Amino acid sequence: MLILTRKPGESLYIGDDVKVTIVEIKGNQIRVGIDAPADLRIYREEIYKQILEENKNAAEAVMSGSALEHLTGTWKGMGKESPKGGRLSQASRSGGLASSSHQPQPKVFVKRKKSRPDGTDEEGERVSPDKEGKQES
Amino acid sequence: MSEESGEKEELLTFASTRFGELQVPVESVINFPSGIIGFPHTTKYVMLEHKHPFSWLHSVDDANLAFVVVDGFEFGQQFDVKPPIGDKDTELREDDEYAILIIVTVRSDPRLTTANLKAPLFVNMRNRRGVQVIFDDPRYSTRFPLWSEDPQAGAQAETEPAATAAARGGEEGSK
Repeated sequence: MLILTRKPGESLYIGDDVKVTIVEIKGNQIRVGIDAPADLRIYREEIYKQILEENKNAAEAVMSGSALEHLTGTWKGMGKESPKGGRLSQASRSGGLASSSHQPQPKVFVKRKKSRPDGTDEEGERVSPDKEGKQES
Repeated sequence: MSEESGEKEELLTFASTRFGELQVPVESVINFPSGIIGFPHTTKYVMLEHKHPFSWLHSVDDANLAFVVVDGFEFGQQFDVKPPIGDKDTELREDDEYAILIIVTVRSDPRLTTANLKAPLFVNMRNRRGVQVIFDDPRYSTRFPLWSEDPQAGAQAETEPAATAAARGGEEGSK
């Protein structure tokens, strides 16, 4: 690992377009400023590792899990309004697909409207905020 | 993995340890140029139906690798994540349509199944390219309980004060 010494206010470049600045040192905390292209992903290590771990958990659970059979549409997630007919599953199916009974139906990932910040999507469907959804069992 | 041309649409055949051999239209493949975090080398996936509202995001290259996902829009207005406009992997533009997929972690007791709201997948519908984005926001848990029977678990996710988000947003948001 390359180790450099910097004082508050000093910076260093990583490549041509990433600039890291030591903003402030306060006790055992150091504030770091980063100038970087907007599409460069910057994460705190513990958050990144948390996601990595959860992705692996998700993938492993699928491999071993029989619980999947019990995952049904009795969905009471963050949005209390039960999903309306499932926009994802309304995807048009294509003919000529291998589909014996134990196989899922492959589906075409359908074009859909994106939601707007005000909670409506472009179909004008209101997605209502939910306060109680999670308390229900 | 092999491609064969049908009369009308091209089909892609791939193996799945769970489902055996599957065929999907080639055009249904979703490409994650950076992979999904932790799986950087697996870039091609397809969507398969499970019981609503669950779907599979299944790797085309790795017969073992699949995720259970839920449409992010099913989480309603509270789940208000900004699409990664300008992102290199998806080339997402303001006027593009996109989908949000939430990865679900299935537990041995399915009632304890959780959703990773902190790191949704965005798919640009224009080019079917996707990316996993991390939202460093305490409102969104990596283990949001889908069916919370434990009031504590539900409350914990819900009562995370918005003030915390604002305070931290001020500190970290200004890049």
